[in-house]
Amino acid sequence: MAPVIVTEGVTRVYSDDGVPVHALRGIDLTIERGEFAALVGPSGSGKTTFLNVISGLDTPTDGKVWLNGKLLSRMSGNALSDFRRDNIGFVFQAYNLIPVLTVEENIEYIMLLQKIPKAERHERVLAILDEVGLGGMESRKPTQLSGGQQQRVAIARAMVSQPATIMADEPTANLDSKIGAELLDMMYRLNMQTEMTFIFSTHDPMVMARARRLITLKDGQIERDEVRSP
Amino acid sequence: MLKIAFRNIFRQRRRTVLTALAMIVGFTLSSVFIGWSDGAYSDIISMFTRNRIGHIQVHRAGYLDKPSLYDVIEGYESIGEKIAGVDGVEAWTPRIYSAGLGSVGDKTMGVQIIGVDVGREVKATQFDRKITRGAIFSDAAREAILGVGLARILKADVGREIVLVTQGTDGAIANDLYTIIGIAKSGDKATDRMACYLHINDAQDLLVLNGRVHEIAVIAEALDRVPKITAAIEAQINDAKLEVSPWQVVAKSFYRAMQADRQGDLIGRMIIMLIVAIGVLNTVLMSVLERTREYGVLKAMGTKPSQIFGVVVAEVTFIALGSIIIGAMCGASLNYLLSIYGISLPQEFSYGGIVFQTMYAAVTVRSLAIPAVTVLVSAIFVSLFPALRAARIAPASAMRTH
Ligand SMILES: Nc1ncnc2c1ncn2[C@@H]1O[C@H](COP(=O)(O)OP(=O)(O)O)[C@@H](O)[C@H]1O
Ligand SMILES: [Mg+2]
Repeated sequence: MAPVIVTEGVTRVYSDDGVPVHALRGIDLTIERGEFAALVGPSGSGKTTFLNVISGLDTPTDGKVWLNGKLLSRMSGNALSDFRRDNIGFVFQAYNLIPVLTVEENIEYIMLLQKIPKAERHERVLAILDEVGLGGMESRKPTQLSGGQQQRVAIARAMVSQPATIMADEPTANLDSKIGAELLDMMYRLNMQTEMTFIFSTHDPMVMARARRLITLKDGQIERDEVRSP
Repeated sequence: MLKIAFRNIFRQRRRTVLTALAMIVGFTLSSVFIGWSDGAYSDIISMFTRNRIGHIQVHRAGYLDKPSLYDVIEGYESIGEKIAGVDGVEAWTPRIYSAGLGSVGDKTMGVQIIGVDVGREVKATQFDRKITRGAIFSDAAREAILGVGLARILKADVGREIVLVTQGTDGAIANDLYTIIGIAKSGDKATDRMACYLHINDAQDLLVLNGRVHEIAVIAEALDRVPKITAAIEAQINDAKLEVSPWQVVAKSFYRAMQADRQGDLIGRMIIMLIVAIGVLNTVLMSVLERTREYGVLKAMGTKPSQIFGVVVAEVTFIALGSIIIGAMCGASLNYLLSIYGISLPQEFSYGGIVFQTMYAAVTVRSLAIPAVTVLVSAIFVSLFPALRAARIAPASAMRTH
């Protein structure tokens, strides 16, 4: 099977007021279709930076990234926007729903960019809301939902356009552990039901316990990479 | 996308209200400013034209460039009849001009002899209202009315006599004695220092004009119809020897001064708009900064920079359109009130020899269209910079928690 993500010698050096910060120091990694992988490591180990780089939100200082077989550094800004829109779903730590849009409008946003007709959008929104257990909440505003519910909407938003990969940066960090566990179980189920690949960063042991692959980062390098059976 | 822009308006109500308020105040101020100056200008123009030179003048071709005693209009009465028949003409009046010397007692001055048809002149330019002392012409022969300035220089007063010396069209020196029956104040100092009005028949006798005149001044019903009426009169008279000129041509320097003044308020308006623009820039930049994460999320999800740019510009445009509607209502109603009640000036104000006591505004298309365009253009222009900033937000910032 074709790998979804391949990286080769990826480094990222930030310049913090002129002082170089080596966030990633040569990462070689391959992630196959359908994986449910966790990036773990202490704070500052480079998890967020790595997710940004492999999703094309950030460009590596050196090294190469292939996403679905495409070399990201070859793509122009607009092509990259379209590529992200069609291939990656994002779930952020702070939910990051658009506050002025309803649940339905938040979820259908990407489909709107993809110019999918209204009827189909509506149908898919209702279907995915059922999947994440939020049936009937489509016309609420994000502020009327709890944190866990908002994160479910974020997952629905990421998944609704059926991208190959879902990238989640510490999706449970702002939730209490019971809600976080439920959310992860849900993500696990969705991963099993679909072909979608899930990559998420975490430093929550309860989340790590549910991952099928644990990639441990330390000081911008892979310290350990283990496949587990949950 | 537009939905986001539109709903963003209502997020920071106070900020939106402040932005809108800046635009509304700017709009209203400049609308009143323009409406007021439009009102004042049309007052000045109508006083200058209506009460003095007339809206349109007919002369022998070339007279305006180089007035000459010999450039006369033949058969002015029948031409006058034709002019009176043109739609939109309110009145017409014939005039004779000549230079001469005037003596009262032992004082002598160069004068401008102006022959007028009293009845017509009163109807056309309210000549009777210009008489400050004495009376207007009666039917008696050889009466003169002097401009105030001239009367002062000659130390003349009503009841005394003036000797006029000039040259007639026959080439001979002509002189005669006239009784001063009145003093006139036209509002134009230069005219008042020179003018010696005679009855048109006396002037024709003195200058040997035999029923001919130099000028026919025409009053139109409305200032804005002058160009059309000018063309209509031209067609009606249909005489290549005669020239029909609107006031803009007759009083070129006055007209130019008015135009130049209008450019003056343009600068005033720009300053008002600049203030608005700075207010808008501030608030828009603030909201872009505040929404960095949100725009980052939109970009991460595949929104193109140009679309983010559009969201910011659209939000400002929505606010601007709303402000324009409110501002237009405020501006129009203020101008309307000012056009009825006017503003009494604490001090008399004179422009081009015309004295004003109360100034009235006017509700004009200009007074709404110019601020509308200026507000919209400056708001959009000012939003470009924050919009560019929003468009350039790194999508990776969406991932950052702090
Ligand atoms: N925009 C940035 N500018 C400078 N340094 C940064 C920036 N983002 C991250 N870093 C640094 O890079 C390192 C890795 O950060 P990050 O990828 O956020 O780690 P993690 O997500 O594992 O906590 C840290 O030392 C952090 O301070
Ligand atoms: Mg992080």
